Amino acid sequence: MSKKIEDQILAKIESGEIQMKPRWYFVMGSALLFGGLVGVSILVMFLLNLLIFTLRRNPQFLYSNKFDQIITQFPWWIPLLAIMGIIVAVVLLRKYDFSYRNNFKVIFLAFIASVILAAVIVDASGINESLSRGKMKRFYQQIYATSGHDVIPQRGDLRRK
Amino acid sequence: MLSKTFEGITVLVRYNRTMKSYTTYTDEKLVSHIRTEQKEAYTEIVRRYEKKLTRYAMYLLHDSHIADDVVQQSFIKAYINLNGFNIQKSFSSWIYRIVHNEAINVIKKYKKEVHLFETSDFESSQDVVEDYSKKELTQMVKSCLEQMPIEYSEPLTLFSLEEKSYTEISDILRMPVSSVGTRIRRAKQLMKQICQRK
Repeated sequence: MSKKIEDQILAKIESGEIQMKPRWYFVMGSALLFGGLVGVSILVMFLLNLLIFTLRRNPQFLYSNKFDQIITQFPWWIPLLAIMGIIVAVVLLRKYDFSYRNNFKVIFLAFIASVILAAVIVDASGINESLSRGKMKRFYQQIYATSGHDVIPQRGDLRRK
Repeated sequence: MLSKTFEGITVLVRYNRTMKSYTTYTDEKLVSHIRTEQKEAYTEIVRRYEKKLTRYAMYLLHDSHIADDVVQQSFIKAYINLNGFNIQKSFSSWIYRIVHNEAINVIKKYKKEVHLFETSDFESSQDVVEDYSKKELTQMVKSCLEQMPIEYSEPLTLFSLEEKSYTEISDILRMPVSSVGTRIRRAKQLMKQICQRK
């Protein structure tokens, strides 16, 4: 049996039936994995930033007793997309060796804490206000329309609120 | 007659070339050699690991024919993905991981696995099982292993029969070292229960 497996594999190697995948294939795989993880992390961070911004601009979602209004007007796609992004990020994180060598719950919580912190910092930097008046005006208008507001915040609006 | 002699010499030369002594080579050095210089040297890898991996596959699958197929398929997959192996890491853990994946795929496919026990059944009485010496444990494992759920039998097999360290088992099964310890401890408790029933 031993000789059989050895010979069969040698024959397959020599005939070219089985060939090693090239080194670049694995390098590209690693790069795509890393790029995917970074991309998804940025996406989740941006969505959480958007969520914070929406809640900050529309405090009725947090304090109102009108649940019907909250359910119909809240832009649910933002948290849903963020959750999907987090699931993808977890799948990608699992591919790395450190994910099983360390406690994955800690890694997961660290990831969540990092993206939330980054989202808070981005929101505090006033980037949403800039974007809503600039190139992403239309995108922000849609968010405001779904949340019952059709007016884009103007400079200084936040401070007055 | 003459052509047959030449043919024999050619085969012998090729055999000697591929059978070059690699005893001083570590697995990782050998892999590096296969990747860059002589791919036929992969047979040395097959020689080094075939028995160990077949035995390991047997513990998981309980069928010698399926185990042989799984090992052969694993060697082929390992060869195809050899450039993806990081030679800074342990080749042994890497190839055991491939066999593990192949065996699990077969188990899922044919649903040959005995149903898994609930983990909560195996708590407490840690001290009792600690008394087993490794030798006694090896004997016990051989007779009781087949009745154990794979999530416990596999770490115990790797630890007691394949003599892998917790870190190596962690790399093969891709789980934290602490979980490996817990699984092995629970496996010993479970094994005690199973063997006492006999």
